[in-house]
Amino acid sequence: MARSFREAGHLPKQRPDGRPAAPEGLPRQRAGRTPQMHGRYPDYDVLAEARHWDPVTRDLLESRVRDVPALRVFDAGQAACLHAFLDVVLAQDAEPRIPVLEMVDAEFAAGRLDGYRYVDMPPDPVTWQQVAALLDRTARGRGAPGFAALGPEAQEAVVAAFATGDLDGEGLDVSRAWSVVMRGALGAFYSHPWAFNEIGFGGPAYPRGYMRLQPGADGREPRERPEAFEEDPVTDVPRRGLR
Amino acid sequence: MSGRLAGIAKGAVLPEDNDSAVLLDVHLRAVPTEGMARYGDDDEVDLVVVGAGAGGSVLAQRLARAGWRVVILESGPFWDPDRDWVSDEAGQDKLYWTAPRVIGGEDPVELGKNNSGHGVGGSMVHYAGYTPRFHPSDFETLTRDGVGADWPIAYADLKAHYETVERELPVAGQDWPWGDPHAYPHAAHPLSGAAERAREGARRAGIEMRVGPVGIPNGVFGNRPHCIYRGFCLQGCKVNAKASPLITHLPDAIAHGVEVRADSHATRVEVEGHRVTGVTYLRDGVERRQRGAAVAVCGYSIETPRLLLLSATGGWEAGLGNRHDQLGRYLMVQGAPQVAARFPEPLRQWKAPPPEISSEQFYETDAARGFARGFSIQTVGPLPIAWAEHVLADGHWGQGLREYMRDYNHWTTLGLLCELLPQARNRVTLADEEDDHGLRVARLDYSQCDNDRASIAFGKRVLADIWEAADAQDILSIDRYAHLVGGARMGFRPEHSVVDRDHRVWGLANLFVCDGSVMPTQGSANPALTIMALASRLGHRLAGRRVTRSAEPAQATA
Repeated sequence: MARSFREAGHLPKQRPDGRPAAPEGLPRQRAGRTPQMHGRYPDYDVLAEARHWDPVTRDLLESRVRDVPALRVFDAGQAACLHAFLDVVLAQDAEPRIPVLEMVDAEFAAGRLDGYRYVDMPPDPVTWQQVAALLDRTARGRGAPGFAALGPEAQEAVVAAFATGDLDGEGLDVSRAWSVVMRGALGAFYSHPWAFNEIGFGGPAYPRGYMRLQPGADGREPRERPEAFEEDPVTDVPRRGLR
Repeated sequence: MSGRLAGIAKGAVLPEDNDSAVLLDVHLRAVPTEGMARYGDDDEVDLVVVGAGAGGSVLAQRLARAGWRVVILESGPFWDPDRDWVSDEAGQDKLYWTAPRVIGGEDPVELGKNNSGHGVGGSMVHYAGYTPRFHPSDFETLTRDGVGADWPIAYADLKAHYETVERELPVAGQDWPWGDPHAYPHAAHPLSGAAERAREGARRAGIEMRVGPVGIPNGVFGNRPHCIYRGFCLQGCKVNAKASPLITHLPDAIAHGVEVRADSHATRVEVEGHRVTGVTYLRDGVERRQRGAAVAVCGYSIETPRLLLLSATGGWEAGLGNRHDQLGRYLMVQGAPQVAARFPEPLRQWKAPPPEISSEQFYETDAARGFARGFSIQTVGPLPIAWAEHVLADGHWGQGLREYMRDYNHWTTLGLLCELLPQARNRVTLADEEDDHGLRVARLDYSQCDNDRASIAFGKRVLADIWEAADAQDILSIDRYAHLVGGARMGFRPEHSVVDRDHRVWGLANLFVCDGSVMPTQGSANPALTIMALASRLGHRLAGRRVTRSAEPAQATA
């Protein structure tokens, strides 16, 4: 990990191998929750502001945290595959997890779609189901009974091939399918207040807006919390040659 | 007390012929509809407007002021922002046209959240808030640059209406040096740290950026509250600070006798001979027909062509106004790639309205660049979901995605609006698929031309130069589109267009199109202000009877 977030060395494109650092160096969440309980703002809980939000916004966000809908569109086999897939693409490798598949399923069950469909693609819910079939078929080609049964490295390899359009879709446009499922996955994950906590997003901010627009620490609202990283000063200071 | 006097008493400079800002309630966000006129279906009103967006709302308000009896049919709901809207990125999808549509072509354009509206106020309810004028050159790109098309009207025809609409929204911004130089009624808003970074980078790269122009009052304006800088402009302004026709024109329209009939989905325009007689629509599952002496279709670039295609009838077998196979063609989107940059200190790009500063320095053709026309540069402020799509587009998923997401507060984002050229092959047609009403859905085919690709590529390099000059630590890019115009363009002759210079559909006496679909070119400007200015001009001409709705069918004059 970088030792200060003023530097950018923690970002994948700035690292020699182009790969992200393992999240073990991140601080554990102390206030509220984040997915997997690690993040950048260990003392920030956006839900602590909920009492200041307007009632319709508060009801929606609190229900988003509280209510995990039952699956209605995806069957058990599809769900096993897609849960495993979503854990990989969203790096949700431990509890607590944001229930992304359940949130996506609820949108489809309610008939809420994005308002367009590529001419050569089926409706989005069918695309998701075809992606589950594609991933399981690919896993069987690698000797596993299904995608969920693959080991972590093999799952990453299959997803990497999916992301670059290098799976055999057997008629399914793999690149477009990737964009359909990722759009749904990100839309659900980053609508969740736990994700707001992880990234330090201010949340609804209505009716109380913002009073500080400056950069840096001067721009921090009283309700925001500073960034932190997990370094023990007793060992870190000498290691950095500061003393 | 009249609106103007009330405004003076409160210290605000209000427009002369639009009391909307003082008709709004001080404490409630909903538009007051008590006492709104109700017309019977068989009552032949003076004008039936289809669509309560930027075009339809302004046209209705202007004509109501002139004594016309107007009904607006709107497919979506009449919003009460206090009750219906949430301050949340994912919770406002209700603002978009999410009924099915099919997209194709070599470079398909994703529809829905970025470029459509559903409900009273239309897509301006969730536009960013940028309100630039078009440049004079936009009205004659064929003559000046040998590309695109010339409009049958000139910038001079719209100038007074630009000025009027800017007072009505009102627009805040610095004095504007590009196009036809002009000033704005309200001063520029304060800048966020994120936008300051962009401005400094642009300055070092030799690019001038100015604050604004945005349709958000900066100061007292009737009963509209001041912006609270919460950054949710694209999710609908629960504050009533950001301008949209829902609050800038419909309160005054309703006070002057307009009926806004929400949840009323137009299914066809009825024709007898060379006249239209009204609009058939669905409400609560029941088919009804509103009679009118004239009809204005204001459903924007997808639904306007679709409604005219669905209205095909004897004598108009290919759709109303489509005898020359022009309907739905020359649809345009703008190339809108975004490049984000990383800086040492937290910038919190989610604060303040996304539209903060912009530059039109690259708007006009520069032969040295190797392509015709240009682009504008604007700040954008992606909220978490939009930011996640940006990170994904740069190729990151899994732990890499999460890492860039955790870094959100250190980033700031600039976007382009590249003028993509009108092409006949980019068009709206009817797909074989049907919607919930049993009506064929729209299909949009879109392909870029070489000039489009060159402009987008050049513009992205300029953004990268700005961030390099600003000493950015990392860069993330996404390719996307924004806005829709064209599809029922105005022109000099029916062989090359759908409507005449007064928005009248060729071959029909009293059918008008008044929305972004009439635009023959699009410039590099966000289209909202120009759609409103066009509607203001048409309203002015209809009210002054320079265009009549009872004359012979619209025909080209030599």
